[in-house]
Amino acid sequence: MVDVWDVPLRVLHWILAAAVLIAYFSANVFDTLHEIAGYTVMALVVLRVAWGFVGTRYSQFRNSVRPPRVVLRFLGQIARGEPGRYLGLNPAGAAMAIVLLALLAVSTISGWMQITERFFGVDWVEMVHTVSSNAVMILVAVHILGVVVMCVMQKENLIRAMLTGKKRQRAE
Amino acid sequence: MKSLMKASVVGMVFAAFGFAPALADGFKNCTKLAKASWKPASEAEAAAKAAGYEVRKSKVEGSCYEVYGVKGGKLFELFYSPEDLSLKHTKAK
Repeated sequence: MVDVWDVPLRVLHWILAAAVLIAYFSANVFDTLHEIAGYTVMALVVLRVAWGFVGTRYSQFRNSVRPPRVVLRFLGQIARGEPGRYLGLNPAGAAMAIVLLALLAVSTISGWMQITERFFGVDWVEMVHTVSSNAVMILVAVHILGVVVMCVMQKENLIRAMLTGKKRQRAE
Repeated sequence: MKSLMKASVVGMVFAAFGFAPALADGFKNCTKLAKASWKPASEAEAAAKAAGYEVRKSKVEGSCYEVYGVKGGKLFELFYSPEDLSLKHTKAK
């Protein structure tokens, strides 16, 4: 087994997942909890972005983020049943991470704006917050589906890997 | 056994979210009157304005008019009954 996901990455991933779910389901029901979860998400997004620049090898964006045409080519390979095997994020996974982080940034910032005097009750801010937050949840579903697909195609437990950090070595 | 425990925890979390709205602070019940007989939302906004709030917007929340008001630099959600425009609940943001 080889170390792939470092401790900060794994901690950030799971706390972020919990905070996003708590924020989404507490919306309009438990305001204080919703705000605390939202600010937590905001802080975690900042930390994850920073870690994407200074973290260990598989946490760094430059090792996995690829241009859209590479992502599309990779999705074509998946469709043909040829996923290859990436130890770190594959091009689609990296694209998902970037888009999710961007949407979470928009969601948390617009949410915070809504409780400032300037933007309280302002329709466009409320709409941006609602749309971006719903988009996050749609992508969360796609993310989970994608992970399951890759687990099946690569015949490995990627969820356990995100808990232990370890994956099977590359075949030589 | 381990997976049974995990499933129970997940089940309890979902159950918690099930009855949680009863404890929630989202205010939704202001009247039992049918919507066709409701006073217009603009009157709820006028009531808030008369009480000294700067009105930003209003919307329907359950069977209440929720008015977003600002007073003294502070932010409030005001819940009015569409039946008689009485103020049912004030939430400071």
